Amino acid sequence: MKTKIFQYLFIFTALAFVNPNSFAQETNLKNYKIRFGLSTTKQADNSRILEASYVAANKKDRKDRVPIYDANINFYNVFADEEVLLGTAKTDQEGIAQLIVPANQSYTTNEEGYINFKAVFDGTDGLDYEEAEVAVKDVFLELNLEDIDSVKTVILNAYTLDSLQTKIPLEETEIIFSVGGMLSKMPIKQDNISEGRFEFEFPEHISGDKNGNIDVFASIIDNDEYGNVIQKKNIAWGINKNIITESNQLWSDVAPIWMYVVLSILLIGVWANYAYSIKNLFNIKKEGKELELKSENEN
Amino acid sequence: MDIIKRKSELVNEFSPMLEKSTKTSKIWVSFLILVILIGLVAFIIQVVNGHIVTGMRDNVVWGIYIINFIFFVCLSYSGAFISGILHFFKSPWKNSVSRIVEIITVLSLIIGPIFILLCIGRLDRLYFLFLYPRIQSPITWDIIAIMTDLLGCFIYLYLTFIPDFAMLRDNSENAPKWRQKMYKILAIKYYDTPTQREALHKITRTMSVMVIALAIVAYSVLAWIFSLTVQPGWNSSIFAPYFIIAGLYSGVSVIIIAMYLIRKFYHLDHYIRKVHFMGAGVILLIISILFGYFTFSEYFSRWFSHKIEDTKLLDTLFNRYFWYFIFANYIGVLVPVFILFFKKFRTIKSITFAAVIAILGLYVNRYLIVVPTLETPYLPIQDTRPEYIHYTATWIEWALSFAGIAAFILFFILIMRLVPIIPMSGIIDYEREQKRKPHASNNH
Amino acid sequence: MANKKTEEGSNNRRNFLRLGLMSSVSAVAGATLISNLTADEVEPSGEKIRVLTPDGKMVEVDAKSINKYPEAVITPTESRKGIPDKKFVMVIDLAKCKNARKCVEGCQKAHKLDDHEEFMKVQLIQNNEEGSPYWFPKPCFHCDEPPCVTVCPTGATFKREDGIVLIDNERCIGCKFCITSCPYSARQFNWGHKEKFEDKSQPYSPETQVPAAEGTVMKCDFCPDMLRQGKLPHCATACPMGVIYFGDKNEDIVTNGSETVSFSQLIKDRGGYRHLEHLGTKPNVYYLPAVNRQFPVERGFDVDEEIIERYKDVPFVKELKEQGKL
Repeated sequence: MKTKIFQYLFIFTALAFVNPNSFAQETNLKNYKIRFGLSTTKQADNSRILEASYVAANKKDRKDRVPIYDANINFYNVFADEEVLLGTAKTDQEGIAQLIVPANQSYTTNEEGYINFKAVFDGTDGLDYEEAEVAVKDVFLELNLEDIDSVKTVILNAYTLDSLQTKIPLEETEIIFSVGGMLSKMPIKQDNISEGRFEFEFPEHISGDKNGNIDVFASIIDNDEYGNVIQKKNIAWGINKNIITESNQLWSDVAPIWMYVVLSILLIGVWANYAYSIKNLFNIKKEGKELELKSENEN
Repeated sequence: MDIIKRKSELVNEFSPMLEKSTKTSKIWVSFLILVILIGLVAFIIQVVNGHIVTGMRDNVVWGIYIINFIFFVCLSYSGAFISGILHFFKSPWKNSVSRIVEIITVLSLIIGPIFILLCIGRLDRLYFLFLYPRIQSPITWDIIAIMTDLLGCFIYLYLTFIPDFAMLRDNSENAPKWRQKMYKILAIKYYDTPTQREALHKITRTMSVMVIALAIVAYSVLAWIFSLTVQPGWNSSIFAPYFIIAGLYSGVSVIIIAMYLIRKFYHLDHYIRKVHFMGAGVILLIISILFGYFTFSEYFSRWFSHKIEDTKLLDTLFNRYFWYFIFANYIGVLVPVFILFFKKFRTIKSITFAAVIAILGLYVNRYLIVVPTLETPYLPIQDTRPEYIHYTATWIEWALSFAGIAAFILFFILIMRLVPIIPMSGIIDYEREQKRKPHASNNH
Repeated sequence: MANKKTEEGSNNRRNFLRLGLMSSVSAVAGATLISNLTADEVEPSGEKIRVLTPDGKMVEVDAKSINKYPEAVITPTESRKGIPDKKFVMVIDLAKCKNARKCVEGCQKAHKLDDHEEFMKVQLIQNNEEGSPYWFPKPCFHCDEPPCVTVCPTGATFKREDGIVLIDNERCIGCKFCITSCPYSARQFNWGHKEKFEDKSQPYSPETQVPAAEGTVMKCDFCPDMLRQGKLPHCATACPMGVIYFGDKNEDIVTNGSETVSFSQLIKDRGGYRHLEHLGTKPNVYYLPAVNRQFPVERGFDVDEEIIERYKDVPFVKELKEQGKL
């Protein structure tokens, strides 16, 4: 216990050193408006991301946004007075806490078919209790990629289920079709779906990866009724199956063969000549030695 | 017997040169040592503080170090070239100048590469050149060329020294012990027997061809360091022959100056005669005309085709570097040509003067090849730091440059202490030839 | 509008990545933020981030103590290979650039560069007296025929399979030959000693070029460390105008963070070109000409005096100065 106290003491002094203004700024929190929001994304594997964002935004300076870091956020599925805790996550340095709810989680829905999610920050001495709610309908996107009379066709069926598990086709909802890329998705079609079905011809110029495989996405983004929903399918519809590789022996590891040949010939020629000269010098020395011996003997 | 007597005569004649140290020579030597010491201090400062102490910055990354490098290395190659020709064709002047040329060759080849080392940011990693060599890089070629050439020149120089060492060994009874011992080792038991002489002549002759070939290769490689890049002032197909001519220009000039100084200080008027100066003057004339021709074609084609980058470069040359350009490419060429062209102007002094002008002009010409090009890159330099826009050499760089020149002169003096600057064996050979065909021409 | 929405889509993906990285860390740490910040002996990186603690205290903390990404250090040997099956390409839209210099700053921060050490330079180019001047952000072009790599005597600079040209400053001997052979002045030399070279808190990788080393060469590296995390290079992320598109030529997709388009289509539609094509270096940086501009070029003069002074030789700037407009 004592060590703990010391630790806190140390921390406080250390903090004061880290930023002498930290206490002064604390009082200025009035200038900040706390924003707490919740969004949800249904992923292709039917799992669901719940994302709470928790930032303090300066009322005067639009650019000044301070994230709340390392705050515990609880995520609930709410039905009437009943709250089911789905999980807890901490906010990161951008003030975002994310929870991925596995696909097999079942949710309770209200009469209209909405699932209610709630994110809660319990509050501390310094910060107030925060909560945010979002209500979405569970949408099912069925993405089919078919070669119909050698026309690459993308077919999307979208529906919700009512309480009796009957499919209710989606109406007037914006769908974005895109293909996956390394850094981001590239949109290829954006239109409103009606009667739960949308169909279009897949563009010809999409490259895909080295095997021509393409991730095709159909997504509903930021919809009031459905939140975010993403569906994905992979297919070998890419045209560019050749990976561009550059090769040039001047900058690559191994030099052109003629360079080795020319260099070897030059060097061997020159060094052989050196060796020959040195050998002759030894011959001269040998002869001189013999001469010396001879003259010594004579003497 | 006659020859042995003559040999001892010659040794006696040249011995004072090897042994005496006058007051002036002492002052000179100590002055040179002082310059070298200042250079060493500059070197230590550069090693401790890094290249920030030089005037080189991100645009002009190579300054006078690389210019000194080109200058000395070209000097060496031209020395090898000239010496090879003198030996191969058994030129009658060989006796007077060949040793001067050979010493210039080896010394400048030792000092030149030191300057390229000064350009290298991480001397502690120099062995990486051998650990991770890339055959495609012109620097690798240059390293191979310089090392091969250096060894070749050493062997060649040594070959020409052997008979003289032998003569000194046999005739220096009065010399100090260490000298006698040194001559004995260096003479490798050469007794000038017919077979020994023949063997030595044979290998000296093949080595003389080899050093000519090596010099041409090495010159080209050096020129390619510049001309294989895409930079406006460098990417030129005539750079390799241009460097050969420029090298010879500086080489012949330095030989003339050395001849002049040695003749003056060692009173060798008997051996280094006016006729040698005349001959060298004519050669310098031919080379200066060739050099002027190459310089003209180089700049003329850039000016006439006026590609935008070339135009920008010429703008720099004719504005910021106007006087440099005038000095290097007009005065440095036309004055020597003018002096040397008219026979009546050719005196020992005027020829030496022409040589001095030629060397200075050539040095500035090198400067103009390296620095303005780097100051005029394809994309304009947009910077506010003056040292990044224009290059000015700092005292560190000058101190090291002068230390290089001082070291060159000092080593020259020291080698002259070791062996006579006039090859005695050459004189013997010459006199032997004369005896065999007494009606041959009488000039040296 | 469509583009705006895909951005969010991609953001989600990025966040997901981040989450994956973060959660593993918090599991290990298991301590409170504050004890993390002080008790842990983390060498400060010098970069400060301001956050609110759950106690409602606003603190400035060292970025290092918060950014506990598992550090996958790519060693010099590994960095020679490149990211498989990729061929990176950058497209710079000159019509959108207003010399905000955020790319320069973002890059400097990420690579721990000092003032005036700029891997990305913004130049003001006026091709001729009558020509209209435009802002020209210039990174390394990562050429397919890189003259710098050809001339390197030790293989310290190399071209990888993914097209990126990097420098291993542990191999570099500082001969500067690469600097003289680069026609785009993309390379810089560490002339003197700097304290930051001693900061060994981050292990050296050619992919980050941190820490730099005295007597060696450095340049723009296309941020492969970011690419490995599925993120854009720092300059592209930092640009408020979305000038810089980046992507993989093999998959033919480039993005500036808010808009993702087909690379070939973009080049075709907008007349994309490469700078100094005639040199035959085959750059991997393309430019979209400065037509139908979003800003007049004068907007770029809203910078420090010192930076305006850099452009003093541009005819347009001279003219403005004569008229007293600058």
